[in-house]
Amino acid sequence: MAETHSLQDLRQAAVASKVFVQRDYTSGTICKFQTKFPAELESRIDKQQFEETIQTLNNLYAEAEKLGGRSYLEGCLACLTAYTIFLCMETHYEKVLKKIAKYIQEQNEKIYAPLGLLLTDPIERGLRVVEITIFEDRSIGSR
Amino acid sequence: MPSGSMSGGLSGPTSPPHTTVPSKPLRPSRYVPVSAATAFLVGATTLFFCFTCPWLSEQFSIAVPIYNGIMFLFVLANFCMATFMDPGIFPRAEEDEDKEDDFRAPLYKTVEIRGIQVRMKWCSTCRFYRPPRCSHCSVCDNCVEDFDHHCPWVNNCIGRRNYRYFFLFLLSLTAHIMGVFGFGLLYILYHTQQLDRVHSAVTMAVMCVSGLFFIPVVGLTGFHVVLVARGRTTNEQVTGKFRGGVNPFTNGCLRNVSHVLCSSQAPRYLGRKRKAQTVSVQPPFLRPQLTEAQLAAKVLDNGIQGDLHRSKSSLMESQSADAEPPPPPPPKPELRYPGLSRGPAGHSEESSLLNKAPPTPTMFKYRPTYSGPGKNHTALTHAYANQMSRRDSLKESSLLQSSQQPGYRSEPSLDGHEGGGVEQSGPERTSGGPGGPPGSGITGYSLGGRSYPSFSDPTVLAGGASRSSSVRSSHNAPPSEATTSTSYKSLANQTPPPAPRNGSLSYDSLLTPSESPDFESAVPEMSPGRPRSPVVGYSSPYLSAQIAQQREAELHQPCASSTALLASPQHAGYLRGSTSSPPAPPERERERLLHDSQPPHHHHHHHHHHHHHHRPPRFSRPPLLSDSGPSQSSYPYRTRSTDTPLPPTTHPPRSPHPPPLGKSLSYSSAAAAEMQYRLVRKASASVGGGGIQAPKDEIQMKSYSRTNGQPKPSSTPSSPSNPVSVSTRPGQAYSSAGSSQSPAHKPGGGVKKVTGVGGTTYEISV
Repeated sequence: MAETHSLQDLRQAAVASKVFVQRDYTSGTICKFQTKFPAELESRIDKQQFEETIQTLNNLYAEAEKLGGRSYLEGCLACLTAYTIFLCMETHYEKVLKKIAKYIQEQNEKIYAPLGLLLTDPIERGLRVVEITIFEDRSIGSR
Repeated sequence: MPSGSMSGGLSGPTSPPHTTVPSKPLRPSRYVPVSAATAFLVGATTLFFCFTCPWLSEQFSIAVPIYNGIMFLFVLANFCMATFMDPGIFPRAEEDEDKEDDFRAPLYKTVEIRGIQVRMKWCSTCRFYRPPRCSHCSVCDNCVEDFDHHCPWVNNCIGRRNYRYFFLFLLSLTAHIMGVFGFGLLYILYHTQQLDRVHSAVTMAVMCVSGLFFIPVVGLTGFHVVLVARGRTTNEQVTGKFRGGVNPFTNGCLRNVSHVLCSSQAPRYLGRKRKAQTVSVQPPFLRPQLTEAQLAAKVLDNGIQGDLHRSKSSLMESQSADAEPPPPPPPKPELRYPGLSRGPAGHSEESSLLNKAPPTPTMFKYRPTYSGPGKNHTALTHAYANQMSRRDSLKESSLLQSSQQPGYRSEPSLDGHEGGGVEQSGPERTSGGPGGPPGSGITGYSLGGRSYPSFSDPTVLAGGASRSSSVRSSHNAPPSEATTSTSYKSLANQTPPPAPRNGSLSYDSLLTPSESPDFESAVPEMSPGRPRSPVVGYSSPYLSAQIAQQREAELHQPCASSTALLASPQHAGYLRGSTSSPPAPPERERERLLHDSQPPHHHHHHHHHHHHHHRPPRFSRPPLLSDSGPSQSSYPYRTRSTDTPLPPTTHPPRSPHPPPLGKSLSYSSAAAAEMQYRLVRKASASVGGGGIQAPKDEIQMKSYSRTNGQPKPSSTPSSPSNPVSVSTRPGQAYSSAGSSQSPAHKPGGGVKKVTGVGGTTYEISV
């Protein structure tokens, strides 16, 4: 029995379902996700926590798409070097995407995995949805 | 390494996303324009540098070739970036993402962008609702973000990521052409006495080429300057989306220009390194503290319905909040009759639907799930069940299959009103039967599906598969966001459609004409092959919405007149002018017409089920039946009997008010008449007279003949009346479940069994 139990612990939990947080297009085509709390997560995570995560993601994407001096300079430089600069340098957007990936990883490790959830980086879905995987909770007394 | 940004977009298979993408066949014709453009650009400029520039640099200044050299380099760099850069291709959605929007989900989702309703269309190829400004390129077979156009000169789509380079390419090319032409002219002016020299000849040739290309390039450049200033894409401009309306994507001229030129390079979606998931998720899991309210809610709610509702609503913006039944299990090929399992749910929904007010126009209201069979739906199902049970199921499925040919047919006649589409979904839902052709307007056929477990999936699926491919191709036709509001995306999907939907194909198509909204949308999508101007994006939705609403209202009629409802919408399309029930034209006559009509319509539609390319997805178009035009009304017949797809129709379906029952009866007889055609074709048995009112048929014929130049058939008595009663049973039967039995149960002497198209056997009283 104990052996079986430990074996189960070693395995990754089974995926129960997936929730998809869609994009929020009310402000145009800028990358922004809906902060509306999905029903499936109601018993799995705090509403506040979820909204905070999504809001942070939205802010990061807004930073990536910001039309500022940085992006302008980058464009000029690329033009002048006949775009060969892209071979050497990482674009501003890519830099922020790395930041986002790190943030999601950190959120997963600290908050979501202990709750039996997993966030998937939306870039893998073409920035269309934030996929939240809900894992099966086999512990006694769970929903 | 950002070098990946240079990849992709090249002619030929693009780098596949992490979801598999079928490799595209090599099409050499694709490379002709880009090769020619490259050849002219590089060739002419090289000649210019070799023959004209040396003298110019000596005569004037070394700056001349340097300037031209830099300009040429700039042109080449932008040309390469525009050619080879991934325009912003969306990777295909993974399967589990699709499950959220099940097969009953609408074809369109509306989203509000800065106060303006924008439709997001379901892409059957990519399996997601296309984000605003995204379009599916048929050449590249990809959904592209901020799709501008597919440029043959660079053999690549122009989208969010490479629009800047394309725009700069145009600007720089204009300047380059002007420079080459100008300096060439200068050379010639100084060498008027030495024009016989090779250098002069070459310079003149280069001038000719550059002068020739100057006009179209300048035109295109000017066009794009205007587009950039207005914040529009070529796609939006050409389809007239914002004609007379407000563009929700514009931020003002200056901001638009800076967005194009100065924004950071958008990221690639395809070909990204997928990070391995390092976080391990293992139970036991923590649980958040539940508040009192949450606990109370949990107690009251069994957690299933509520969760589904909430998740659906949370996922959909501006979706109607109508109560929805629990979504059926995702369609699987082996799952034949989901509708059956949802029977009880359907009933409950039906009653709820009856009590509810008609939903808002479909354009603005999209039900994530088919809210359930409307009363019609249920009644129809019953009627069909009763009626069909006596029939050969195989024949039924074959009938369905054949009936699937016409694109319109697949239109979910009842569920035309996607948005509010509760009722419409009804028939769809009930059909629950065979998987049915994906993408074909199955909804209409749902009726048949449910009650006929015997429907063979393979036949239906086969029929549907072919259609779905055509559907998809039509989907990817020149972008024209049609005004279709009510179509189920499942219909658009190529993958095996939900079983219920397919089942009802044959009967629903007969009885329930396509939805007008679908009709409208179908119009633009229908004709990749038709030279039609794109449908205005935003005005028609309203119209279609109105029509859809009308239809919904019609469909919401009380049960007793369900027949009328069923009949009227369809027959509105079918039988344009027929109000009486004249004797049906002779079977032979009709048959002749049918056959005759086929060849002329070859160019419109193929006889085979499979070729519906030029037709918009069935589901998206309202069943042609609903089309008010006489020609259109005849189509359903024609299509059905001849198994040819209905020609695309551009007329917005006009859904008249539900006719009185008598009328509906006549309408249904028209439907029966169509069935009759099939019967005649398939069965040798002569059908007794009566039944189908000749005028209707004649009218159909008329439009038929008008369309295909056939002489108007003389009306002859035919057996239609009986078949009519029989065929119309599905519609009528719904209202009176039991009454439909009677025709079938006529005494043996007076009943003839006829096999209709698709193998359905009908008992016709002779």
